[in-house]
Amino acid sequence: MIHDPAIETTGLTKHYGDVEALVALDLEVRAGEVFGFLGPNGAGKTTTIRTILDEIFPTAGSARILGMDTHAQSVAIRRRIGYVPGDLSMYPNLTGRDTLTYFANLRGGVDWDYVGDLADRLAADLDKKVGDLSSGNRQKVGLIQAFMSKPDLLVMDEPSSGLDPLVQREFQAMMREVAAEGRSVFLSSHTLSEVQRVADRVGIIRTGHLIAVEAVAELRARSKRRIEFQFGSPVEASLFEGIDGVTDVQALRRRVMLSYEGHIGALLHAVAGHNDIVDVTTHEADLEEIFLTYYRDEEETA
Amino acid sequence: MMLANVYTKTILDRWKGMAIAAGGMALMLWFAMAAYNGIDTDFFDRMPEFWRALANIPEGGGVTGLAYSAMFASYGALAVGSLALSMGAASIAGEERDGTIGLLLANPVSRVRVLLSKLGSLVTVVAGGVLVLWGAAYLVPVLVGTDTGGMDIAALMVHLVVVSVFFGAMAMAIGAWTGNRGLASGATAGVMVVSFIVTGLLPLVSGWESVPKAFPWYYYDAAEPLINGIGWFHLSVLLAGIVVLLALAVIGVRRRDLEEHSVAVTMLDRLRANPRTRKIMEKVAGSARVSGITAKAVSDHQTLMIVVSYVMVLMALFIGPFYRLVDDMLVDFAKQFPDAILSMVGFADLTTPEGWYQTEVFSLSLPIAFLAVTLTMGAKALAGEEADRTMGLLLSNPVSRSRVVLGKAAAMVGVVLVVAFLTFAGTIGGSLIANLGMGYWNVAATSLLGMMLALVFGALALAIGAATGRVKTAVYGSAGVALTAYVANVYFPLSDSLAGFAKWSPFYYFLAGDPLNQGMNWVHFGVLAGLAALCFAAAVPLFQRRDLRQTG
Repeated sequence: MIHDPAIETTGLTKHYGDVEALVALDLEVRAGEVFGFLGPNGAGKTTTIRTILDEIFPTAGSARILGMDTHAQSVAIRRRIGYVPGDLSMYPNLTGRDTLTYFANLRGGVDWDYVGDLADRLAADLDKKVGDLSSGNRQKVGLIQAFMSKPDLLVMDEPSSGLDPLVQREFQAMMREVAAEGRSVFLSSHTLSEVQRVADRVGIIRTGHLIAVEAVAELRARSKRRIEFQFGSPVEASLFEGIDGVTDVQALRRRVMLSYEGHIGALLHAVAGHNDIVDVTTHEADLEEIFLTYYRDEEETA
Repeated sequence: MMLANVYTKTILDRWKGMAIAAGGMALMLWFAMAAYNGIDTDFFDRMPEFWRALANIPEGGGVTGLAYSAMFASYGALAVGSLALSMGAASIAGEERDGTIGLLLANPVSRVRVLLSKLGSLVTVVAGGVLVLWGAAYLVPVLVGTDTGGMDIAALMVHLVVVSVFFGAMAMAIGAWTGNRGLASGATAGVMVVSFIVTGLLPLVSGWESVPKAFPWYYYDAAEPLINGIGWFHLSVLLAGIVVLLALAVIGVRRRDLEEHSVAVTMLDRLRANPRTRKIMEKVAGSARVSGITAKAVSDHQTLMIVVSYVMVLMALFIGPFYRLVDDMLVDFAKQFPDAILSMVGFADLTTPEGWYQTEVFSLSLPIAFLAVTLTMGAKALAGEEADRTMGLLLSNPVSRSRVVLGKAAAMVGVVLVVAFLTFAGTIGGSLIANLGMGYWNVAATSLLGMMLALVFGALALAIGAATGRVKTAVYGSAGVALTAYVANVYFPLSDSLAGFAKWSPFYYFLAGDPLNQGMNWVHFGVLAGLAALCFAAAVPLFQRRDLRQTG
């Protein structure tokens, strides 16, 4: 149904005086995917979002959302998106329900049964004043506000802040459901575990530059992971030396830990001759590692 | 005993407001003295007692006494007192509202020490502002080539510091007991204004002369410190009051649960929670309030609207019967007023009910009240949402920036229209009670012109907010222009060469056509409406072309 990319930026650049907040960003978010936008604080994530939402204007370049120009067709775009700003602020003197009513009136066509479902799923209290809510409970109101119109694109800036783990899991399920319906999610975050769990693809931004865009599965496959072997009797580290992809071997009597990059079958095949293996534990490839690797690479090339 | 960092931070947060208020007063003193200078001072000896009481002019004060009193004894003192009470109200309750009190008290400091440090900064800021006024009181006469007229300025200034600290301590005590900053500043401001009015008016009514002694303002200037020096008895009454209020504040702040980032509970909230009134209140406080940008903006300023309307209605109602109490005196003395004074009230004829109303209600109180509404709403309309960081969320909805600007502008028009209508109704009520027979259409026309005048500056505040995204810039910018325009309209007509320039001031188009007697001057109405429309229209592109601010 939706053919245009959800978001498409071309050479998007934003300067604040002498500060280059965003440098020639070329980014495409496809319809029907959850796109994780990763970067440390101050990398330019929020600037990107504020620029494509027409809150601030690009110094150069342009962006399209759902096929429409983000400046010229801004109002039409906003009819079809939901937004959770970073460091969310709302009207403290309104209750959650008043807040949602206000935005629903500005937007039109909100299904209140669906709002009720969302509130149940997130365990949100809509009868308290927003100003009396804890930050996590306030965040829930913000999330419902973004989801309630069933937008074609959700743009969310650090949306999980303050949510407890149970609610976070529910929220992640909600994002996956959006993608399953062919709608899109643009999720800015600095918490990798979350992006790892929900995103199809990840863009990594640093000091205003987009330094990589990768599918999460791909990243994971070609990333190093830590593997731990438990043997029935003491072994030497030399057992693993010379195997392709193995580095950083540490042997502690019956226990061997190593880093491995490649298909796990090749490694298992190489040690299959040793019949005293009691246990194998692999630690899942961590985006944290990848993330840091990318940053290290950037620093070296810089 | 005081915490140096709390003390210093509070001063740094507050000194600008005081500096601007004191500087503005100094400037007005300069304008006033320049205008009064050279006027024959004989008329003071013939000034009626009631007029001097109203204007707070000490007997035998001469030109300088008139200028000092007009600036320092009434409006200047109210301004300094307002800043003091706003600091007092913010001292504990303000930190609770901002949610910073927990952080502050996580440090090894007691609540009482925090309170005393806040008191210390309050006294310092008040004293600093008063010092500026004091300096101006000596400097301005030199600048305009007159002298201080032997007035005891130091005594007046000491009285001013003490009365301001008194109201600051009162707000502090209410805030310490309730944790509600709005209540603390609102109630204290109410006491201050009521006692100011009572102290000015009741001495004129026979049999009521001693009633003002029950009000704090009496002890500020009833002893006439400009003439008689420091009134030690009156001062000690205020000082004793300060001690009592501070003791109450200390007790209150120690025994109460502190609020964490509280939101004030309004009357509507209570009605909404009550089962009997819930149904209708859900509509008023809930769905109706959030039905759109305009409705929400109106509701956000409901307290301001109610308070200002209340003050205007009361004033308009009571001024009528007062005319009946004093009209005999008026007829005898009105002829003796010099242009300098008549100019301040738009050359009203005090012997007529219309002139009396113009002097007491329309010439100054009405612009102040209406401008309080429009400047607040205009400055907060766009810049306020940016400072509160809600503008991004609002604009993520399918509403254009121009619709936001116009929606907020409509709210300003709506609220000031309500205030103007109630002012009109109050005036008609006062006229009916006292049987003054004022023309309905003329009163309506004057209220409408006042509304348009306020809209000019409100629209200017909105446009400055649209261009800068800064609430303070919008408030100070538009208030500065309004003050200059007011002063120009009052003082330019006194000089033949400058009289023509008064027409450059929007204030000119408010009362120059004598609407209370002559009815609506549609040309003047059109000028004001055009200026307001121009500023509203300018706000749209200014807002559309700017990056939204991310933080306040």
